[in-house]
Amino acid sequence: MHSSSNSPPTESGRPLLWFLQGMHASISAPGLVLMATFVGFGGLMHDIGFPIVAGVLSTILIWALPAQVILIGGLAAGASLPALAIAVCLSGVRLFPMVVSLMPLMRGRRSNIVVELICAHFVAVTLWVEGFRILPGVAREGRPAFTIGIGTGLIGISCAGTLLGFYLTSALPGPLAVALLLVTPISFTILLVRNAKAAVDWLAIGLGAALSPLVANSPGGLDLFWSGVGGGTLAFFAMRLWKRRRA
Amino acid sequence: MSAYQSEFAAIMVVLVIGFLPNEVWRVLGVLFGRGIDEEGAWMQWVKAVATALLAAVVARLILIPNGALVALPLWLRLSAVGAGVGGFIALRRSVLAGVLLGEAVLAGGAWWLGVA
Repeated sequence: MHSSSNSPPTESGRPLLWFLQGMHASISAPGLVLMATFVGFGGLMHDIGFPIVAGVLSTILIWALPAQVILIGGLAAGASLPALAIAVCLSGVRLFPMVVSLMPLMRGRRSNIVVELICAHFVAVTLWVEGFRILPGVAREGRPAFTIGIGTGLIGISCAGTLLGFYLTSALPGPLAVALLLVTPISFTILLVRNAKAAVDWLAIGLGAALSPLVANSPGGLDLFWSGVGGGTLAFFAMRLWKRRRA
Repeated sequence: MSAYQSEFAAIMVVLVIGFLPNEVWRVLGVLFGRGIDEEGAWMQWVKAVATALLAAVVARLILIPNGALVALPLWLRLSAVGAGVGGFIALRRSVLAGVLLGEAVLAGGAWWLGVA
């Protein structure tokens, strides 16, 4: 699908070429799905009245749609800011193992902490999956520039989607505008189902979803704390107990 | 609702409540990434909490929406999400196909009901 793997510049010192090849690789089926989900996010932002500049900034800087949806959805639901910061922080933990596991592929020949930090910023589900698929075919010296290229391309596509969704909502006829608002919940439900492998994952999904309406409007804006941290912890301990019983 | 109404306040919220608590994990991954046990109990708890958090936010958006989605009946919102997951499973586990199918059900239902 990508031409990136078979046209390696032999000399080093051509990072721009690697960067452009990375950007080219971002135009792909996963890039399209990403765009669609960010169109939904833009629509959601418009719906709750979140300003567009801050919204696009969230796509560039946070660059993790779950955290962005938790932030925007939480603000709309009236969550307290410290509780939201904790919720965002907890949702971001999954980035840690992603960065750790992908870094050997992104690093290139010499390790350079600044380059590594820049590469790490682009790591989110899409780059993580695409990275394992594409980076092994990229020459080692070109990998950091290629990673930054594909990351920049993916963020660019997503910003375009965010803007499109934000301004599309008011221009679309009623049923389509409403449909736009459900892109995020639908795609995230699908991603949860796709990523659920062990029983503990299903239990966490079920408990989080079931607790969510029960604890809505908890005092202190702690909805997400009870449903997310409570539901996840419950799922974790339930599975440990169950495994111990069987062992 | 007023914490993010001005552009400046919203940008500060994105930076302090969004960017910093999220980015810290990427930085830690670079700095202390070597030799972490991904299957350890601590990591498993964190994964369960992250999953439940996401499920809770999504459920809240679907079950107790607070924008234009309120105009749609609950059964339609749930059928659209169900169609999305069903489409994903039936159509070679394609996320895009699932989203499109769910959206088609929702837009069709909204049009048929004459709401929104």
